[in-house]
Amino acid sequence: MGSFRVLLAKETKALFISPIAAVVITVFILLMGYTFTSWLFVSQSASLVRVMYQAAVLLLVFVPVITMRAFAEERRHGTLELLLSTPAAEFAIVAAKFGACMAVILTMLSLTLVYPAVLQYFSEPDWGPVYSGYLGLSLLAAALVALGLWLSALTSNQIVAAIGSMGLFLLLWVGDSLGNLLPDPFDVLAVNASLIAHFTPFSVGALYLSDFGYFVTVILLGLFACVRALARP
Amino acid sequence: MQTAAPIVEVRSLAKDYGAQRAVDNVSFNIMQGEILGLLGPNGSGKSTILRILAGYLAPSEGSVTILGFDHATDSAEARRCLGYVPEDANLYPQMLVSEFLSFMGGLKGLRGSALRSGLARVIEELNLGSVARRAIGKLSHGYRQRVAIAQALINRPPLVIFDEPTNGLDPHQIIEVRELVRRLAPDQTILITSHVLGEIERIATRVAVLLNGKLLTERVAATAPRVILRIQGLHLEKAEALLTLIAGVTNVQARSPGGFTNNYELTLQSAEFLPGIAPAVLAAGYALLELREIHLDLEAAFLALTGSER
Repeated sequence: MGSFRVLLAKETKALFISPIAAVVITVFILLMGYTFTSWLFVSQSASLVRVMYQAAVLLLVFVPVITMRAFAEERRHGTLELLLSTPAAEFAIVAAKFGACMAVILTMLSLTLVYPAVLQYFSEPDWGPVYSGYLGLSLLAAALVALGLWLSALTSNQIVAAIGSMGLFLLLWVGDSLGNLLPDPFDVLAVNASLIAHFTPFSVGALYLSDFGYFVTVILLGLFACVRALARP
Repeated sequence: MQTAAPIVEVRSLAKDYGAQRAVDNVSFNIMQGEILGLLGPNGSGKSTILRILAGYLAPSEGSVTILGFDHATDSAEARRCLGYVPEDANLYPQMLVSEFLSFMGGLKGLRGSALRSGLARVIEELNLGSVARRAIGKLSHGYRQRVAIAQALINRPPLVIFDEPTNGLDPHQIIEVRELVRRLAPDQTILITSHVLGEIERIATRVAVLLNGKLLTERVAATAPRVILRIQGLHLEKAEALLTLIAGVTNVQARSPGGFTNNYELTLQSAEFLPGIAPAVLAAGYALLELREIHLDLEAAFLALTGSER
């Protein structure tokens, strides 16, 4: 636990002072602001469902940018050798990087809380989908971060880690459409493996245990695979 | 008689990279306070052995135990007992020196006042005070190497592992590192690698020679000083007996005798007796042509061993 705190503090600081965090947060907020404003004027309704979808799609692109350097840079600089020679456990190292990436993403998402505040000021939005939407975005982000860290741990090249992560995320996002082409029972499997199929209920205010289970499973599998990728060769 | 347990026990160690065997059936012990030098040409498996001992690589076969903790079962405890200075001083370039050392101290379990005092001690020992608030990436190679050594020493580990610590340093810095390593023993046990014969010869108390992943030999470096003496004069047949009478001389070995000039190798109890050699030789009526101190003749041994294996 002691090692985890030390690692988390170092990773969070390193990520927040890097230009990557500043650029990602700024561009995300600009794109989200544009989506919120344009959708508000077009729909004339106090709903954030479309905004939540927009945020989820942007996460597919922005999370790889945040996670790509996590382990690839350690491998490239040779600092992983130093880190793994300390008494810190591999899981503590992975968990700290996961925590640091989530801190950046949650900061990014928290800045969008101004949108429901604006809706509340001018109207009476339905708060259920807002709460569940943010919960769904947080779970989606955590699942993407876990997978992104795993891919970063497999290579010493940040670009390879980023492109690989984006490809995997997009495949998982649109995986449900593959269900139309596959025979039974693979169609069900394809739909149930899809990120969008499990995120959609959150965005409209419907909470199912199966959706929680899906995201928690992906997070744990991603982190486990990442720890295995770090295991001493 | 009870013998002290070794700090490091390496048993039948092997490491494969695919089909290539980088380390092959290597076994050795390191006792408390020893400075073991691993010597071998590039690619002989030195760094691989060090990485296995540091816990970064897992062995393909065999076992490594550090203070009784087996890397296979108690790796975290084994790693807590060691400080590791990797080759080329790979550190976080964006971190400040003091920030990096605090981070490494924290990972090794130091907290609060223990961390502060450890930090202050290594900054003083390694003369890092002037660069403590500078980013590591902006330091010279010599300073980066000092920072790498400082992080290994911050928690005073019983075992310190140095992988080619003098690579890329200027002569002044090499002497500093050498003196530092000497100061660490006998409180700490040292494992050091180099492909520079002179470095190992000057630092190590015991030397292991590696070639193609195999341990060729272990030799105890000469702890008692030895001198080569070249004298000239009459009645040289009596010289050997006279030389044994000089204070501090424990052994006399005649080398290449011939005519009026003889060479001898003298072994002394300690370096304190060195200044007394020349006056004693002159008092015995011989002319002194040469008097020089010699260390372990590692270069000849290394070339003979590696030459025959190649």
